[in-house]
Amino acid sequence: MTTLLIVLLLLVGAYFVAVLEAWISRGRFQLAAPLLAGIALLGRESIVPRKPDRIFFEVGPILLLLSALLAAAVIPLTPNLIIADLATGALFVNAALVYVLVALLMAGWGPDGAYAMIGGWRFLGQLIAYAMLIVMPITAVAMRAESLLSTQIVISQADLWNIVYQPLGFILFFVASMALAFLPPFDMMIAKGELAGGVEAEYTGVRLAVFRLGRLVLIVTLAAATVIFYLGGWQGPWLPPWAWSAIKILAVTVAMLLAGRYMPRIREAHLLSWCWILGIPLALTNILIVGVLVLEFP
Amino acid sequence: MTAQMFFIGFFGLAGVWFGIVVFRTYSMVRSALALLFSQTALGAMFLSMQAEFLGVLQIMMMATEMSIMAIFMVMFMMDPGGLGTMDMTHQKRLSLITGFVSFVAAVAVAVFVDWGPVATTFPDAAQQTVDLGLELLNRSMLIFEMAGVTILTAMIAATAVAIQPLKRGKEK
Amino acid sequence: MSPELIIALISGAALFGVGIYGALSQTNLVMIMMGVELILAGAMVNLVAFWRYLHPDNPAGQMFVLIIMTVMAIEMAVGFGVAIARFRAKGSVEMEEATELKG
Repeated sequence: MTTLLIVLLLLVGAYFVAVLEAWISRGRFQLAAPLLAGIALLGRESIVPRKPDRIFFEVGPILLLLSALLAAAVIPLTPNLIIADLATGALFVNAALVYVLVALLMAGWGPDGAYAMIGGWRFLGQLIAYAMLIVMPITAVAMRAESLLSTQIVISQADLWNIVYQPLGFILFFVASMALAFLPPFDMMIAKGELAGGVEAEYTGVRLAVFRLGRLVLIVTLAAATVIFYLGGWQGPWLPPWAWSAIKILAVTVAMLLAGRYMPRIREAHLLSWCWILGIPLALTNILIVGVLVLEFP
Repeated sequence: MTAQMFFIGFFGLAGVWFGIVVFRTYSMVRSALALLFSQTALGAMFLSMQAEFLGVLQIMMMATEMSIMAIFMVMFMMDPGGLGTMDMTHQKRLSLITGFVSFVAAVAVAVFVDWGPVATTFPDAAQQTVDLGLELLNRSMLIFEMAGVTILTAMIAATAVAIQPLKRGKEK
Repeated sequence: MSPELIIALISGAALFGVGIYGALSQTNLVMIMMGVELILAGAMVNLVAFWRYLHPDNPAGQMFVLIIMTVMAIEMAVGFGVAIARFRAKGSVEMEEATELKG
């Protein structure tokens, strides 16, 4: 029951993200546009390229959707609305999201097309850049909560949200999660103007619909993860918990989409050097600062 | 036949099957991703043995490792897509026999040794994580630090070996 | 004697055997490394099984698994470093051709 509810909420969230994305990038607010586009995609012919690696071609989009859904399984929307409160929740989010990479590699390699393949390998380069910036801020968050349980992490922020307690970690995690969701400016692997659609280039019809849905759910999942790690999850005055969760997730999503709107695209080589030269020292500093704070002001 | 037994057997079988696929397919990317799924099946097996932290860690680590393996396969192989069926093995019979003998020997040891009483109680997942953390930073700290220093050494050594040699007389 | 322990140990043994076969039979350095990874994975399965069914109260068993994961990472890093150097020098990583150190 909970599972069904959360999956349904994620899908609704994904729909809103689609509307918002179109609104922000094209400046037109059309509530029905994603629905119509989705129906059009379902009706279109599904072209299979010549000589595909059939297994990868079929599994890629589904794995993308699945990994985003799995990561959402450990994210509490209200104190009780959580699919599995694993003892290693904060680590599990990460473990599930790494399979986004595997999905994109498969989807890139499968169709036997040059643009798609380059898009897939580009994401591998991007992963090596952002992976540490996902793990290390989560480490600092778990240090403050003294637990890997995601509900415990939310409860630990009752007095002070982590965005105030460790702003450095928040910025790093925010940027890294944008790179993980291949949102602009980190969308070199699926950018229309860059690789003719990159990983998406060879997909049509139902498979493309699943791929796009997976990407939207991934954005919602990452926004929800940011909310529970840094913005105090369901906590807030006056309103009920589910309302706070919804408002915060919406706010983070809008922030993610808006931030990408005003940035030039970043090549993965540049992202690599920025992340390793600047990002990882900052993340380690963040861990050190949080360690001192946790010891000094428990 | 308990549920736990079934899942351990199932994921173990899946792990071994994908491990065999690694050496049977001609496509190099498939080979690397088969290794990934073999390791992921082992992670699921750890989860069904209630070693939650290790299972999740295994699933997380191996995805990155094996994807990197895949790109190296594509870089260094003559036929990464496996379109031609090139034979890439040598001393096949010797390896088969050695592999089989080591398998049988290990199974014989596993079956014929008396492992003593089986523990019935075990700590729950949260307690395990706490125990492991305390173990790492308490009794086994030196070993853990050694592992860290070894990784650092390996990183420096690998970079030093792999770096592009400087061309003499040609400024960059 | 617990059947779960035996099943896990047999899985570990099978992975070990497959890994030995791969490491001995493949001609490419990267494929040989895959075989070694499988051998290490077999060892890891055994360690987790021993920890769970024989000494669940001692976290040192889990620590050994972490050490093996470290060894796997190190093996990957150094192996790929060597592979890049060799590819740059000789243009291939086929181990049949690597006979410089043969007496």
